[in-house]
Amino acid sequence: MSWRQTKDAPFFVGYLNAVPKPLVTFLAVFSLCFAGGLGLAALALSSTQNDPGNGGFQWGNRFEHVGLLELRPYPVLRVPADGDTPARTYMLAGQGKRGVFEQAEANKGSPVSLRGVPVNRGDLTMIQVGGVEAAEARFEGGFPSDAVPLGRWKLTGEICDGKCYAGAMRPGRGLAHKACANLCLTGGIPPVFVSSGDVKGRNFFLMADSDGKLLGDELKPLLALYIEVEGDVEQLDDLMVFKADLSTARVLK
Amino acid sequence: MSVQYMPVIWNRNKIVYDAVLLIAVALYLYVYIRVGPAFEDVTRPIDGAILRMRAFGSCAFLMLTVILCIGPLARLDRRFLPLLYNRRHFGVMTAVIAAVHANYVLGWYFNFSPTDQYVALLSSNTNYGQILGFPFEAFGIAALLILLVLAATSHDFWLSFLGAPIWKALHMFIYAAYACVVLHVALGALQGPGDPIFTALVAASVVLVSGLHFVTGRMEAKRDRGEQTAQASLQEQGWVIAGDLDEIDDTCAKVVTLSDDERVAIFKYDGKLSAITNACAHQNGPLGEGKVLWGCITCPWHGYQYNLADGRAPAPFTEKISTYRLKLVGSTILLDPNALPPGTHVNPIEFGGDS
Ligand code: HEM
Ligand code: FES
Repeated sequence: MSWRQTKDAPFFVGYLNAVPKPLVTFLAVFSLCFAGGLGLAALALSSTQNDPGNGGFQWGNRFEHVGLLELRPYPVLRVPADGDTPARTYMLAGQGKRGVFEQAEANKGSPVSLRGVPVNRGDLTMIQVGGVEAAEARFEGGFPSDAVPLGRWKLTGEICDGKCYAGAMRPGRGLAHKACANLCLTGGIPPVFVSSGDVKGRNFFLMADSDGKLLGDELKPLLALYIEVEGDVEQLDDLMVFKADLSTARVLK
Repeated sequence: MSVQYMPVIWNRNKIVYDAVLLIAVALYLYVYIRVGPAFEDVTRPIDGAILRMRAFGSCAFLMLTVILCIGPLARLDRRFLPLLYNRRHFGVMTAVIAAVHANYVLGWYFNFSPTDQYVALLSSNTNYGQILGFPFEAFGIAALLILLVLAATSHDFWLSFLGAPIWKALHMFIYAAYACVVLHVALGALQGPGDPIFTALVAASVVLVSGLHFVTGRMEAKRDRGEQTAQASLQEQGWVIAGDLDEIDDTCAKVVTLSDDERVAIFKYDGKLSAITNACAHQNGPLGEGKVLWGCITCPWHGYQYNLADGRAPAPFTEKISTYRLKLVGSTILLDPNALPPGTHVNPIEFGGDS
């Protein structure tokens, strides 16, 4: 059996403007299916995006507080109790994909007034620092308090960069975001562990290594994956710190 | 068949083709970016830059899928042939859309950092040893580079500059690009939280592209086997029985397969017969599936033309293809399987009558 051209078959020659009638109909139908199909695919793909959560910059709610900058081991601002509000500890990030280690080193141990914009998602708040100035202040009443150890935990979840996950990018998590998160952490943004179970009602943690020191490249292969890892949890005011023992980490999926 | 290379020679068909393409792409992007989000069920919308990046990425992927289906579809049903005519514009547009996708990625995921964007793209994730968390961007980069090279060399100038075999081989890399894109999404977007629709679409694309190529491959193989009679029937003096006069429609051809890469088209016109190679000098289009228009063989792909008696394109064009000698015994056509040098004049066989 072989195919052969026939005298009556419509024959299209691109540079002739006249297109045989049966072909015009066929091509018109094809064009409609092509455009319509693309439109439908776009609607299906776009309308079923996964929920990136409720994180975001709180532009209307500027942050300005006096407190102490500490490295735990990432920069945090500790704000004393004020009337009914208990003492709080805020994670800090710089503009873009930068940390605030320089400011924290420069002002370590002395009171500062810190301005910035909160990035917030549920209980997780990170401050994008705008400016840090030395402040006149006296702290009393046992401030700042020591970290309270909460024992050893095995947690499952994802290591994210704290700023994107808090809502600087939506969605700021997941494998597609891995390279971006790597870049954030390299720039000095604190990593957070987003756990699927909670410890005392909290399910995100500022991360440190098992000695409470800075994490480095050993984090990279685990970032943005669903993992299980053991470590000690301690509480700094309202912030949980997870001293993860990465040698126990296991990728679950 | 152009003596002089114009950037693009426009005519109504090309304009309509490109218009349909542009409208479909614009519709896709508009629906994805503007209409779709209104139907999303999310606490807060995803970032605009990410939405646009996904819109352009998935658009390029779907366009690539359609491009790769046009070839086999045109083999299965000749009515798809006109889609092949302007396919290069389709390819160039796909490369542009993919480049926009990559640009959004650079300007969002790899921006706002002390590290240079391009350095960040290549250095942020280097976990090449793991499957989960593999730097899937690398496959995207490879695919984009291929698409850009193919787009840049798509013009006929490059075809004649590089020569058809090299140009063809180069453009076969479109399949490598497709494979890279599939890996790019399989190791990236598809590993994220379950997205059944995108997963189904990617799977459908892979099945469609490979399925159509498989089916047409089988079909061509079967056709060639049917033609083996011609090979097997080598007669004394080396003539091959090419078939019967009545098998061929007027102004049309019959294709005889001599070997895997040698096919001969025997044309019937004005009570005469002429034989030429089946491969067009332009892009190896199947001349035997063309027709005789104004006394010239006309290729079904892009309409290149050749004189029947000597296989030379009419002046001022200079393409030449091989011719073959024929003999008629009764109504049986005999073919001399030895190709003559391109452009050799052979007197057509006259069989009288204009049937
Ligand atoms: C330099 C080259 C490229 C880079 C850096 C790149 C990067 C990325 C990134 C980071 C994502 C994940 C986006 C997300 O889901 O948040 C992605 C998704 C995607 N990319 Fe690329 N890409 C490149 C080239 C390409 C090319 C050439 C194509 C297709 C022809 C392509 C098609 C796609 C598709 C279909 C998606 C999935 C979109 C979705 O989630 O709906 N990419 N790319
Ligand atoms: S292959 Fe392009 S005209 Fe023949």
